[in-house]
Amino acid sequence: MDDLVEVQIEQREGDDVVVARLTGELDISGADSTGQRIAEAVPSSARGVVVDMSGLEFIDSSGVSMLFALARRVGSRRQELRVVAPTGEPVARVLDIVEFDKAAPVHPDVDSAVAEIA
Amino acid sequence: MRTLPELFDVRVKARAIAYLFATGAALGLLTVAVPHPSEVNDLALVLLAAGAIAIAAVVWVSRDRIREWHIHAVLLCGTLIVSLANYYAGPSTLYPVLYMWAALYAFYFFRLGEALAHMAVVGVSYAVVLAVQDADSELVRWLLAVGTPLVAGLLISRLLGLLSDRAQQLERSEVRTRMVLDTAPDAFITLDREGVIMGWNAAAEHLFGWSATEAIGKTMRELVVPPEFADRHDERRNALISSESPLATQHFEVEFQRRDGGRFPGEATVSKVDIQGEVFVSGFITDVTERERREAEREALLREQAAREEAERVAELVAGMQALVDAALAHRTLDGILRELVTQVRGVLDADAATIYITDESEQLSVGASAPGDVIGGGEFANAVAAAREAMLSQGDVGALVGVPLLAEDEVTAVLVARATPPREFGGEDLTLLRLAAERVGLAIAHARVYEREHRIAETLQRSLLPDRLPSLPGLDVAARYLPAASEAEVGGDWYDVMPIAGGAVGLVMGDVAGKGLAGASMVGRLRSALRAYALESQDGARVVERLNRLLWTEVEENQMATMLYVIVDPAAGAVRWVNAGHPAPLMITGGEPRFLEGAGSVPLGVLPFPTYEEVSAPMNPGSTLLLYTDGLVERPGENIDDGMAELAARVREAPEDPDGLCDHLLATLVPPGGATDDVALLTLRNLPVPDQFVADFPAQPESLAPMRSMLRRWLSHAGAGELEIAEITTACGEAATNAIEHAGMSGDGRFEVSGSRSGGAVEIAVRDQGSWREKRPGDHGRGLDLMRTLMDTVAVEPSPEGTTVSLRRTLGEGGGPDGRPG
Repeated sequence: MDDLVEVQIEQREGDDVVVARLTGELDISGADSTGQRIAEAVPSSARGVVVDMSGLEFIDSSGVSMLFALARRVGSRRQELRVVAPTGEPVARVLDIVEFDKAAPVHPDVDSAVAEIA
Repeated sequence: MRTLPELFDVRVKARAIAYLFATGAALGLLTVAVPHPSEVNDLALVLLAAGAIAIAAVVWVSRDRIREWHIHAVLLCGTLIVSLANYYAGPSTLYPVLYMWAALYAFYFFRLGEALAHMAVVGVSYAVVLAVQDADSELVRWLLAVGTPLVAGLLISRLLGLLSDRAQQLERSEVRTRMVLDTAPDAFITLDREGVIMGWNAAAEHLFGWSATEAIGKTMRELVVPPEFADRHDERRNALISSESPLATQHFEVEFQRRDGGRFPGEATVSKVDIQGEVFVSGFITDVTERERREAEREALLREQAAREEAERVAELVAGMQALVDAALAHRTLDGILRELVTQVRGVLDADAATIYITDESEQLSVGASAPGDVIGGGEFANAVAAAREAMLSQGDVGALVGVPLLAEDEVTAVLVARATPPREFGGEDLTLLRLAAERVGLAIAHARVYEREHRIAETLQRSLLPDRLPSLPGLDVAARYLPAASEAEVGGDWYDVMPIAGGAVGLVMGDVAGKGLAGASMVGRLRSALRAYALESQDGARVVERLNRLLWTEVEENQMATMLYVIVDPAAGAVRWVNAGHPAPLMITGGEPRFLEGAGSVPLGVLPFPTYEEVSAPMNPGSTLLLYTDGLVERPGENIDDGMAELAARVREAPEDPDGLCDHLLATLVPPGGATDDVALLTLRNLPVPDQFVADFPAQPESLAPMRSMLRRWLSHAGAGELEIAEITTACGEAATNAIEHAGMSGDGRFEVSGSRSGGAVEIAVRDQGSWREKRPGDHGRGLDLMRTLMDTVAVEPSPEGTTVSLRRTLGEGGGPDGRPG
């Protein structure tokens, strides 16, 4: 299916923070296009981007690679990336295993992530 | 009720009598006051005579206006003259004259009793007058002369009182009459002989718009008679007035004019009224506009009824003429028509055999029908007919042969031949009949050809709309059957569809469009593609069906409707959800026991603009089978549908469990031999029982990952894995499968195989591909392998020349993975 994963973009704190909400399952079939979508949605004027994965049911290493790449790209533009994954969920477990928190902070909810950037 | 003239008469008489006594009293006075004749003043006599003549003249002139004066004046003058004559001549000699006058008076009134009373009073008055002429006392003479007539007058007026009561009654009666006339629904008008209006009631005011005060004194011509009818009006009135009969009546319809100039048809009933010589005309006038309209309507209705009866009679005639053709057309297929026709022709002509030689669309004589039983074909048309004729002639004893061409659109399409064994002559009548039949049947053949062509197109179209190959779905087995109705019916509107939808679920559709033939098939096409589009956009089944209904309601031609069942089977959740738009309930078979999934029933699509569709769900465990069907499977003419459903359930109980076997068994046992009367569509889906071991292979493409995970989750769940274990093992297997897909590279036609087994408390999963192992995928940084190792107890990679096998093992129920795991 083409739409295994869906991305919804939302502006917060004026235009300062972009929130990208992912739903569905993120694997190699949708990882690249999802990363592209998010990167394009972040204007250079924004302070940072929050990738909300609380609605994501599945993530594999391809999805994780996409997040690492996004962290690099955002960082190179002096912007901040924060990721939301509720503790105990399979997604948080995967992020934990690959030690994603070394690349960008992982938050349990969106509001705290947005607040940290703003 | 009294009539007007009678009323008049009584009042006249009452006053006449009063005047009479007043005259008596005056005479008495005169007699006493004036000396004996010898001494009389000549001048006084002349004055008396002149006065009498003057009164008579005045009365005569105004006789028309004051009718009663005329009578009284004549009587008064007569009485006066008689009295004077009597006075001069001496009473003794003129008594007979007096009595003669009284007799005339009585004759005038026609009432003997009253006349006698008058004569008595007059007589007494004179007797007293004569008696007192010689009385001694002046006072007594005065009193007697004046008093006697007065007393007599009082007595008579007492008598008159009775009459007066009667007059009052009559007067009331007159008021009542006038009121009745005034409130009468019809205009009541009274005219004098010149046409001047005398009476004008409320209805007349209302009808003509002129008030009574405005109308009275004017003529009808001035007010209500349209100019062009004015002369007729006068003629008619004059004719009525001059009529001999006192009760002459005219009844006529004529146009009248209202005050506002509007005209209306009126009906008038006019009578001549003659009250003691005074002639006038009274009449009722009714507005008959409404009545004429009703009459016109009734006439139109009668004409329409007559026309309809005529049309029905003609239709009956035509129907009779068409009987032959209809019989042929009842068999919609060309073959059916021809067989029916030869049978009929043979019967009508009393022939031993009848045969039709017919061209096919490529001008080849290919089909023939005959009775009894011959089928002839082959060769060029003319030659074939000739050959067939030879064949016919050589066929046993041929006594007589007759043939006519069958024309369709001016082309010979067939030849109809009849044969008789005993020698006989086919006469002109036989030929005419044969020609008549040929004409009509030629047309029927043309129609049948068009029909068959359309039928073929519709059939092809419909077939193209059914999935030619059902998708293979992991863990599910699907089978479908479509059985068109017996050949002579139109192509039905049944359809089914199977489509994978997001999250490893699968959508099943079973529908039945009300229209048949080409229209029905094209409608199925629209519904099918719309449903597929909507199902992609929304997971909510009720919403999908509502949108479909909206499409049908707004965009498709009127009166199109369809029943439909939309079922979403979610094997991972072990549940089925469905929305039912007026379709027979689906059947869930669990452990061999069928159960109809009732509920969620709503109206068919296209019936209401905003119906409510509801999604209902039920568990669907591995091993259960779902059966969707159209009413053709359970409906048979003359049978209750409930019986059909019960029969279906019974047949399902004895059927094999696998979808193909189930479909075949149901068609074999439920469809009558010779075919169903309606189309039958069947769709079955079995949620396969999860085995302890499984092997599945997938195309080496990213799109295979989601169905693989879906299948794996089901199997793991069945194998007893917990929720978190399922998520973790699935993630690890996903990594292995992603590797396999990467290994296959861009060629795209490779496959990978996933197998699983359970041994003791552990699950072992192997992912096998046809490529060579690479430690790291591009951009992966070895995270895939890290994940696998972290999430599983053991991970083994076995590269070989044929490909790579990744074996994963994990013990279940330990509450967490081996290392690197929190808590």
